[in-house]
Amino acid sequence: MTKPFAFIIEDDPKLNEIISITLQKDFDLETCMDGNEALGRLKDITPQIVVLDLNLPGTTGADILKSIRADERLAKTRVILATADERQAETLTDDADIVLLKPVSPGQLREMALRMSAH
Amino acid sequence: MSYNFTINMIPLVIAAVISGALAVYTWINRKAAGATLFSLMMFILFEWGMSYIFELAGTDLQTKIFWEFMKFIGVVATPVAWLFFAFEYTGRKTWVNARNIVMLSIIPVVTLIILITNNTHHLFRTERSLGFESGFTILETVNGPWFWVHSAYTYLLIMVGLVILVRALLHWPPQYRGQMIWILLAVLTPLIANAVTIFNLAPIQIDLTPYAFTVTGIGMAYALFHHRFLDIAPIARDIIIDGMKDGMIVTDANRRIVDINHAALKIIGFSEKKQPIGKQLADVLSPWSDLVAKYRDVPEAEDEISIGEGDAQRWYELHISTLRDENNLLIGRIITTRDITERKHAEKQIIESEARFRQIVENASDLIYRVNTDGVLTYANPSALRAMGFENEEEAIGKHYLDLTTPEMRHKLKRTYQHQFLSKTKVTYHEFPAIAADGREVWFGQNVQLIYEDDQIVGFQALARDVTAIKQAQDALRIARDQALEASRAKTQLLSKVSHELRTPLGGILGYAELMQGNTFGQLNQKQNKAVTEIMDSAEYLGNMVNELLDEAQLRSSTATLIEKNFSPFKLVQAAASGMDIMAQKKGLMFSLQIDPNLPQEIFGDDRRIRQIIINLIGNAIKFTKEGSVRLNVSRADENHWEIQVADTGIGIPKEAQSNIFEPFKQVSSSVTRDNRGVGLGLSITKQLVDLMHGRIVIESEPGSGTKFIIILPITREG
Repeated sequence: MTKPFAFIIEDDPKLNEIISITLQKDFDLETCMDGNEALGRLKDITPQIVVLDLNLPGTTGADILKSIRADERLAKTRVILATADERQAETLTDDADIVLLKPVSPGQLREMALRMSAH
Repeated sequence: MSYNFTINMIPLVIAAVISGALAVYTWINRKAAGATLFSLMMFILFEWGMSYIFELAGTDLQTKIFWEFMKFIGVVATPVAWLFFAFEYTGRKTWVNARNIVMLSIIPVVTLIILITNNTHHLFRTERSLGFESGFTILETVNGPWFWVHSAYTYLLIMVGLVILVRALLHWPPQYRGQMIWILLAVLTPLIANAVTIFNLAPIQIDLTPYAFTVTGIGMAYALFHHRFLDIAPIARDIIIDGMKDGMIVTDANRRIVDINHAALKIIGFSEKKQPIGKQLADVLSPWSDLVAKYRDVPEAEDEISIGEGDAQRWYELHISTLRDENNLLIGRIITTRDITERKHAEKQIIESEARFRQIVENASDLIYRVNTDGVLTYANPSALRAMGFENEEEAIGKHYLDLTTPEMRHKLKRTYQHQFLSKTKVTYHEFPAIAADGREVWFGQNVQLIYEDDQIVGFQALARDVTAIKQAQDALRIARDQALEASRAKTQLLSKVSHELRTPLGGILGYAELMQGNTFGQLNQKQNKAVTEIMDSAEYLGNMVNELLDEAQLRSSTATLIEKNFSPFKLVQAAASGMDIMAQKKGLMFSLQIDPNLPQEIFGDDRRIRQIIINLIGNAIKFTKEGSVRLNVSRADENHWEIQVADTGIGIPKEAQSNIFEPFKQVSSSVTRDNRGVGLGLSITKQLVDLMHGRIVIESEPGSGTKFIIILPITREG
């Protein structure tokens, strides 16, 4: 049985690793640490879950979120937004499926991701 | 037929010629009242006179009888023409009609028929023969019965005409009386002469009537030339002069009143019945002796005078002009007065109103001036004169309005107002620098309005004011605002940065610790597990501290804003409480939640911040309660407020500590904090958030008997 596919976009290598470790048991993973690169990959892949950091080099998380929502092919993709900036997160709650305020608890993230991919 | 004209007929010829000339002259001027009939009458008299000359000149009976008939055409027509002349001259024009002419001509026509057929019946003349008298060969006659009928009729008509004229004479103003008297004399003379002839009262046997016509003609001519008979129709005078609203008085050379119209009588207080004609003007106008004295020797005048005082005061326009005859001799004066009281009142009001507005404008501290389309000053009030550096208005008029501003600004200002002229913009407001009288640079704010006359722009009027102080204040305010905004932006940016920079490493600490705790990196022994728990506790504490510090900093710098939207208070309270009951249970405490069903389904507000307040208070309550319970009670306080109560059975807060419990970093006692460490910002943040929401926070507590926080928030609706 194939695992669901999760795409992790996080520029901080430590957090990227924590998220990867947290989700590797239940998901097929691809990670990315740059906004522009992520945008390019999203043209080819169709992840069920995207874990998205807001503050990214290159294209910002907000723009990536917009482009996902504008893409018909990614209509079923669920986005978990992780940010340290409360105010900014506030403005994106409608577009993201869920917003997690950093510091993100690995347990909480795994639970959320599993719940979403089950749908 | 044979004739013998003699020298003693000359008076008769003169009389006839005068009549004829008058007939022609009046015919030419027949537009005047009665002129046509007067002309006709003169022509008939002419015919009568000429026929009589031929009758007298005739040497045989046959010739004389023919001319007697011819003469009688004039004799019978004269009284009829006379009567109709009297009708028309006295204004009874409608009586001169075809029916009356036919009726009154019956007897004269019968007379002529009887006369021409006299030889068959002798009703008019019983005898006719030649006789000699005073060098004339005359027709001697004995009168028959119809002659007397004819005579009676003639006198009747003449008498009726006389009565009409005399009655009019008594009624008319004096200047027409001379004319009328001459007419009456002229008419009466042949009448008397005729009577003398008919009743044989004269010493000689010649018909004096035609001679009398010489007198008639002369009398009429005198009336015509001297009194300008027919020039002014008396009727027209009555209607026009008395009908005038303007008063009119005519005096003679001796300052006696010879004519006065109704309007003038009314002004001087005389009735129409009791006319002051013939009296001295000075006597009649004695109540206004000062006016009489003023104009007594003034030949011509045009002035405004007032009569009476107070409310009864009337104003008149006075015209005095002299009347002179053809030889330029003074024959009198004509005085007219026109009532201009209404105009005077209106003028007075305008003058008063003008003075009022002038006073406002002249005393205004604002600059007020007007210029024409060339930009040349036509008016400047004292403030404007001072600002432009002029001593007085005379000096300023004709100068250019651009003197108001600094030389550098003139070109720009000129362009600005040229544009206003061209685009016909009604009002503009501009501010520009100028040099004040004391050399200081000041700023003027100027309102400029275009002035229109008959849809044509004739200039502009400007109202300018020294706005230097306002401008300086505005500049200062703008700088202060810019600085504040800049500072606020910088602070927010810094906070955002700090928040991000602190949370990211915290994410690393907490993330790895949690993974270790979940044995991701191998099974931990008891000591390792305890150490990881300590790491996580410390990291969590640090995270909370970061959050609280950021909140506090934002609230203190007033950069915190509420993000308001409609939310359900039921859902909010349940969500906020959901995590808390687990926390309470962990500590072995009872947790209860009560929500008033009377709460509105929706409330407008910042739900996230309200949730933060609830979590904060419950967290505190759990933290400071060792045993017992924590209760959350949300209810509707009144129509416009709702209430959040958080009560515990904890250690309580002493009265003296309650007053400063909302200050940042305050902890009630050090003993508590060791067990329940917190940053000490929770209540401060809560208080500030409640204030931001225009709510109130109340604390009810005693040491040992628990604490109750009550938060009262307004129920606001969107918009």
